[in-house]
Amino acid sequence: MEKSLGQTTKKHPWFWSSAIASIVLRLVLIIYFPNTLNFSSRPEVSTPITSLRRLAEGYWLKRSSMSPYSGSMYHGSPLLLSILGPLIADRSEGQSHLLCGLAFVIADFITALLIRAIGQLLQVSDIHSFKSLGAGRHSKISENFPSGDIASLVYLWNPLTIITCLGYSTSPIENLMIVLSLYGACMRLVPLAAFAWVIASHLSLYPVILIIPLVLLIGSGLDTPPRKLFLQQTHGDGYKKTTNGSLNLISFSWRRAVLFFLWASAWAFYVLVLCGISLKDYSGLGEMFKRTYGFILSVEDLSPNIGVLWYFFAEVFDFFRDFFLIVFHINILFMVLPLAIRLHHRPCFLAFVYIAISSILKSYPSVGDSALYLGFLGLFVNALADMQFSFFLFSGYLGTLLLSPVMHNLWIWRGTGNANFYFATAMAYACFQIVLVVESVSSMLNHDRALKQGTTTNAKKEQ
Amino acid sequence: MATTPEKDGEKPKHRPVVRIGIFIIAHSLFVSVVCCTAGVLALLLLPVLAKKTYVSENALLPGSADPMVSDQDVSGANRFINELTSTGIEVPRLIALHMANLGGEYSYHKFQTQSNKFHPLHFFTSPNAEADHVNKSCGSYGTNTVGIIRAPRGDGKEAIVIVTPYNPVNLTQNEVLSLGIAYTAFSLLTQVSWLAKDIIRLAADSQYGQYNSVAAWLREYHTPSFDGFGKLHGGSCHGSNGVHESELDMVIETEVSDTFTRAGTMVAALVVKVANRDDEGEQDALNIYAEASNGQMPNLDLINVVSYTAVHGEDLGVQVEKLVSLLDSKWLKFIGEVFEKVGNIARRLNSQWKFGIPVKEYVEGSATLVSSLYHQALGVPTGSHGAFRDYQVDAITMEISLKLSSTDKGRQTEFLFRGGRLIEGVVRSVNNLLEKFHQSFFLYLLTSSNKFISVGVYMIAFLLLVAPLPVLAASLFSDANKSIPESENNSKLFKSWSWLYPTKTIFLIHLWGVIVSLLPYFIYQIPNSQPTSRLLIWASLSLFILTVLGSFFGPRSTQWALLKSVTVSTTFTGLCLMSVVNFATAEIGALLLVPMCLMSKPWRLAGKAHSALSLVLVVIGFPGAAFFVVKSAFGFQNGSSLVEFWYWMESLWAWNSATYIYICIVHLPCWVLCIYILLHPC
Repeated sequence: MEKSLGQTTKKHPWFWSSAIASIVLRLVLIIYFPNTLNFSSRPEVSTPITSLRRLAEGYWLKRSSMSPYSGSMYHGSPLLLSILGPLIADRSEGQSHLLCGLAFVIADFITALLIRAIGQLLQVSDIHSFKSLGAGRHSKISENFPSGDIASLVYLWNPLTIITCLGYSTSPIENLMIVLSLYGACMRLVPLAAFAWVIASHLSLYPVILIIPLVLLIGSGLDTPPRKLFLQQTHGDGYKKTTNGSLNLISFSWRRAVLFFLWASAWAFYVLVLCGISLKDYSGLGEMFKRTYGFILSVEDLSPNIGVLWYFFAEVFDFFRDFFLIVFHINILFMVLPLAIRLHHRPCFLAFVYIAISSILKSYPSVGDSALYLGFLGLFVNALADMQFSFFLFSGYLGTLLLSPVMHNLWIWRGTGNANFYFATAMAYACFQIVLVVESVSSMLNHDRALKQGTTTNAKKEQ
Repeated sequence: MATTPEKDGEKPKHRPVVRIGIFIIAHSLFVSVVCCTAGVLALLLLPVLAKKTYVSENALLPGSADPMVSDQDVSGANRFINELTSTGIEVPRLIALHMANLGGEYSYHKFQTQSNKFHPLHFFTSPNAEADHVNKSCGSYGTNTVGIIRAPRGDGKEAIVIVTPYNPVNLTQNEVLSLGIAYTAFSLLTQVSWLAKDIIRLAADSQYGQYNSVAAWLREYHTPSFDGFGKLHGGSCHGSNGVHESELDMVIETEVSDTFTRAGTMVAALVVKVANRDDEGEQDALNIYAEASNGQMPNLDLINVVSYTAVHGEDLGVQVEKLVSLLDSKWLKFIGEVFEKVGNIARRLNSQWKFGIPVKEYVEGSATLVSSLYHQALGVPTGSHGAFRDYQVDAITMEISLKLSSTDKGRQTEFLFRGGRLIEGVVRSVNNLLEKFHQSFFLYLLTSSNKFISVGVYMIAFLLLVAPLPVLAASLFSDANKSIPESENNSKLFKSWSWLYPTKTIFLIHLWGVIVSLLPYFIYQIPNSQPTSRLLIWASLSLFILTVLGSFFGPRSTQWALLKSVTVSTTFTGLCLMSVVNFATAEIGALLLVPMCLMSKPWRLAGKAHSALSLVLVVIGFPGAAFFVVKSAFGFQNGSSLVEFWYWMESLWAWNSATYIYICIVHLPCWVLCIYILLHPC
């Protein structure tokens, strides 16, 4: 987060040197300290879904003509097995997953570039909508930060991203797919958005809910202030020609949405066929669904992680288990619709909120998910300038993330603590995440309100 | 963290939590003073609040059975002692011979001493993770002798360890006696029928340090090598010590298996030592040492069992180490008297209120508490029992002190009897244990052998002490945000993100702290350097790096209040983190850091008295200065001070103590930042 400071200068060379420095840091850490920083064994970094060690096991099983899902070790996609498997296959004693590490570094870099591109698009649309709202906001526009640069640097330099990248978990790939789908939607490249969305949902299931922001993005374009403002503007004064243009932009294009659904179903079919082919000698798609999505939904693995579900389902009686599974999963779905109604004019922000919420309530969360939404937070740096509790949240994130390994050590290695110690940090972490979501949403709504006030006073002045 | 740093917005209505926060922040000075005073007072009250220990695990039943040590065992031990002192047979061989005669399995464990290596994150790694560090030099190596009794009633899955460290090159009378006690117990335990856990007797070769031998054995015990790598490595060193080796093997008629024998999971370990008693007590005494690395303690039940058996079974006076120089302290006596009087008054008001303890008890409790805190804070184990704690095995050192010199034959026999019975009692009690020790406390401080303060009590003192930090941070933060002049357009917009600028400075200073903590690794590469010169190189390099990093600080015009706010909250996070890792370090650190953080203010803004006071606090707050102040205050011998300080740091470094990391990464940066704030041109 400290790095966004330098970005107030708005110099592009700064961005490139800083981005390259972060990549070099990753490479140095991967090449020179492959075994000292044993992040891959941390429960905060690698979950049963994303662990590369499990993937290696699955690949080994597959190569020895067994189903990769046998033995409850691997729970990822069969496609990932085919793509990443060869990279980890022939490793000798000394080098550990070097090629995979490089792949993750590249994935991180592409993700950052895509975030930057999204940020630039958002900024252009921001300036456009400010202009169409009237000249009164010029002071605001002149102070605009290059949110794309900030967001992508926040993503690249975020310690959580670096740890995830070094921790050999597949979350960088998942994050890349999520960002790619949003990028495709922002650019209105319907096939790309559909492809990335299908792959992201295939890899980790939760991005399914992103379909709402994606469709909104494809149908009605990038984030804008609420539509009412433009309407007010048209009634308020005589600048019909500019406002007409913006109104046209806002209208929802059903044709594109239908196209998106068609493409998405085509890609989904294609992915299923590929999975079927790669699993045809073993068990077929039924087992894949059971072992991947079933595993995610039924929270079978109760080993500790930074989420809150493992502790609960370790404690709950077996006959209540199904009930609470439904309750916990529906929690995410409950929030989808109200948020979509309230924030439908800002689909990118809606996507950020969805990602944050699903990373809180996920069955196997890792810090990689947090890294993604913290990067997205940078995209809205102009709108969230007045966000409350930012320092409190920063200290809280720092404190809990440092405390978490200590508590884990106290419980697992020293034996002087117990599960409650570790779960306490997980709960604190969840609380901070919730505060972050609540505060960012409320400050975004405040921002919209401020825009509204600005335009009304503006209109009055002009009258 | 209960209070939240936030700015008082324009809206008058807030959530209740936020309103409470705002109220506390508004009275931050009052809250800080009250909390700090209460924290120090609670720390002084700890000996009064100590509770009596009790055996928490019902299964243990200490002292429920009659001791079974017989004359036969003791006379065997006497013969063994005679052979040890008179005959010229090598000690490991002799011990093994006797173990074989008693009917136990035995084997040798050859190990090499490992040079001190620095693992900065030793705390976070599992013990197994570093087992593959193999020292290639074959220079120094020792031989542990291991004897195992297989339990007739057990399934061989659990074991109790009895360790007797001795130096085979220079065997002292005390070591002979401790070996004799272990022999007595071993002799008895080979015959008993009630044994449900295997007994491992480790005669640890302590010529290269008591800790190293036990640690080496434990490492090998817990990391079986299947690929023969360890064997190969051992074999490569046999050449240099071949003579020693062959002699060893020839004399013992039965073949010594070179394999490493194992029993089950260790549930407890007892290190038996004998010491001469310095002070004049009326009875033999038992000293208990329990502190392992990073202030970890064994389960309180183990100490309870040992002290119960010693007091009720053997009539030994049980002691825990205390700081003798504090016993005559007038201050402590005065405080004790005050507490006693308060207690008396309270009792007069209501006879149910059992508050207050006699002055003598208070002073002794405090002396024990201070010593306990000091040893925990150092993070250096107080004996070879420390090696066990790394493998989650509860272990203590039992040091039996003799009243008289033990040349007397009858006295020696009686002593062996008592020692043997004591170990038997403890083993018999631990033998009943199901699973492992888990029932009682792991986090506690001892104020005497039968009084303890649990984590729930001592944490209150710590939390009261550090509570002002977040309040202060929040109040400074909200003040700073309010006081930003409206004319500054740029900062007005990003008001709530203005903490990012000081955060950069603080991040750089903490980075400097990390570099400082790693510097000794490179300084050790310089050959033939004296401690003093090493210390000076360290200091000058640190200063140089600080000035280099200082050029990145950016404009000094950033508000000091924000800088201080971020500093204080970072310190708070660091202290809280450390209180989980090692409570004693965090408590001592908080005593030094909290007043310093609260008082620091730019000298141009503060009054003269204020700046003078904060200057004094800053001077004391420097780790080196604090070290000397504590040394002179508690009357430790004062050698060449710089050298002493270097050795102290070196010991922290070599033992991978978390305290070292704390000093370099939390304490030192906070100190530098306080000076930075003090000199800040407003």
